[in-house]
Amino acid sequence: MRYEIVVASGKGGTGKTFIASNLAYFLNNFVDNVLAIDADVEAPDLLIALGDMKKIIYKSAYYGSEVPIVDYKRCIRCWRCKEACKFDAIFKGDKGPIIDYDRCEGLGVCSLVCPSGAIRFKPRKTGEIIVGYSTYDIPVITGELELGGRNSGRLVYELKKRAYELTSKLNASYIVVDAAPGIGCPVVSSLAGADIVVVVVEPSPQSVKGARRLINLANELNVTPLLILNKYDLYPGYSEKIPHLLNIKTLGRISYSEIVVNAYTSMVPVLKLSIDSEISQELIACFNKLLEELK
Amino acid sequence: MTIITVCGGKGGTGKSTIAVNIAVLLSSLSSKKKVLLVDLDVDNPCTYTLLDMTLRESSEIASFKPEISSNKCTLCGECVNYCPTHALVLLPNKLLYISTLCEGCAACLYVCPYRAISEGSKVIGWIKEAKGKKLDLIVGEVRPGERKSEEVMERTLKYALMKVADYEYVILDAPPGTGRGIYEALKIADIVLLVTEPTKLGLHDLKRMYQLVNRLDKPRLLVINKYGLKGGIYDELEDFINQNEIPSIKIPYDRYLLNAYIQGNVLIEVYPDAPSTKALIKLTEKIKEIIQERA
Repeated sequence: MRYEIVVASGKGGTGKTFIASNLAYFLNNFVDNVLAIDADVEAPDLLIALGDMKKIIYKSAYYGSEVPIVDYKRCIRCWRCKEACKFDAIFKGDKGPIIDYDRCEGLGVCSLVCPSGAIRFKPRKTGEIIVGYSTYDIPVITGELELGGRNSGRLVYELKKRAYELTSKLNASYIVVDAAPGIGCPVVSSLAGADIVVVVVEPSPQSVKGARRLINLANELNVTPLLILNKYDLYPGYSEKIPHLLNIKTLGRISYSEIVVNAYTSMVPVLKLSIDSEISQELIACFNKLLEELK
Repeated sequence: MTIITVCGGKGGTGKSTIAVNIAVLLSSLSSKKKVLLVDLDVDNPCTYTLLDMTLRESSEIASFKPEISSNKCTLCGECVNYCPTHALVLLPNKLLYISTLCEGCAACLYVCPYRAISEGSKVIGWIKEAKGKKLDLIVGEVRPGERKSEEVMERTLKYALMKVADYEYVILDAPPGTGRGIYEALKIADIVLLVTEPTKLGLHDLKRMYQLVNRLDKPRLLVINKYGLKGGIYDELEDFINQNEIPSIKIPYDRYLLNAYIQGNVLIEVYPDAPSTKALIKLTEKIKEIIQERA
């Protein structure tokens, strides 16, 4: 049996990477083999929290999209491509269509409707995939989207595909996914097929609002949402209300601690840096409850 | 009219906090024309709750969706074979459409040999507005479950651009990340504000963001939010500032900043004498200086 746990949050900066890195460390050291995925491909940080990449297994360019190339000799300027493109990525030029590559989604409809075979497609690099072991011997898959790139969700989908191929090789029982903030395309890809999403909330109305949207999405995708209340002591009165406001099962709460910032600075997971600290004990309590939920 | 784009890479560094506070400050300074704040964090827009403004829906954002006629459909599977995002699935007696996978390219419309698919539309998001005495707000919001955040962001931006001439200052509050939609918001900026925090993650994502900003020749200002956070990476941050010669402003991490954030209030309104408020006033003055230098 393999479990896939996504750590997500609707709003940024609530502590996704903090929870995901320590969850991966906890499972790998005390429970069973883990494979961690950094699915925040526009701002990938998981490796900072898990120590750097110690040994790279492979690094490959990701060709996540295709770009149309126009053969102007064949073009009969019927403009069917322009009419068919739903993304307004084609303009009329003197010799034929001019493609706005910033707008093009690379889905191939222009080529499909072209009666003279004047448009063909070639693969386009949209990111990079790196697989390796972190300093603390946790296998990690990270992706990095080209700056200013599109379709981060397709890259996340590809990361997960590679993760599934690797789990049997690595004998991994758990996949931990550090998701992007928000509820957009990359988060939908992160959630698809997962067992549990750990919703990381901090006591602020903005965070609760984002969490509510995320929980709705999780329900739609049949992924069980479980709450971790992070930095709860910043506003204890409001924190107490959050489990009721969100109406999902709570794994536990974690206090605000400077150790988290220190852990990032020294690139060591909190559980490794100070296992006896209050915050480490709170993390472990949350993770044990999570394991019970998986039973 | 001056467009100020607020971005940062990492989530939760304080982009919306900075955007809202400078919007209020600039609106109190500007004499004739109003200020426009555009919330492009379409996954979880928070500016209107911070400002306590009530939004009204201005327009729906729609995208293509196949309308399948079960009378005409012979279950031949052509559309299923062609759909580049696997949003159509052939069941023994039915053609299934999975909305969350569809990117709206309309390939199915063209490949169906029996004309069983016609052009339908689905709502992927909304543009909402609020009007204040001195400050107006335009907010983009994606429909949860739709993989269309980038498109909703770009359409919101396009809508806002039609109105910018009426305003003295336009502030674009970008979401976390370094994707295409954010790049579009950078391209039209007169001034770029990069918001970061003194953590390893903040700096790492800032460096990625900075590479993207460097593709464009725009005046930029680095805002180091939460300055004074214990255990932060101040030396590394100073090195980055010196190497790149970026003008910077520090917003001290005082309890006022934290209180306003967790209670969802506008800092400069609830704590007008706080050190963090004074830093925000300084930031606003610096923005005005840059504008004067350009003129």
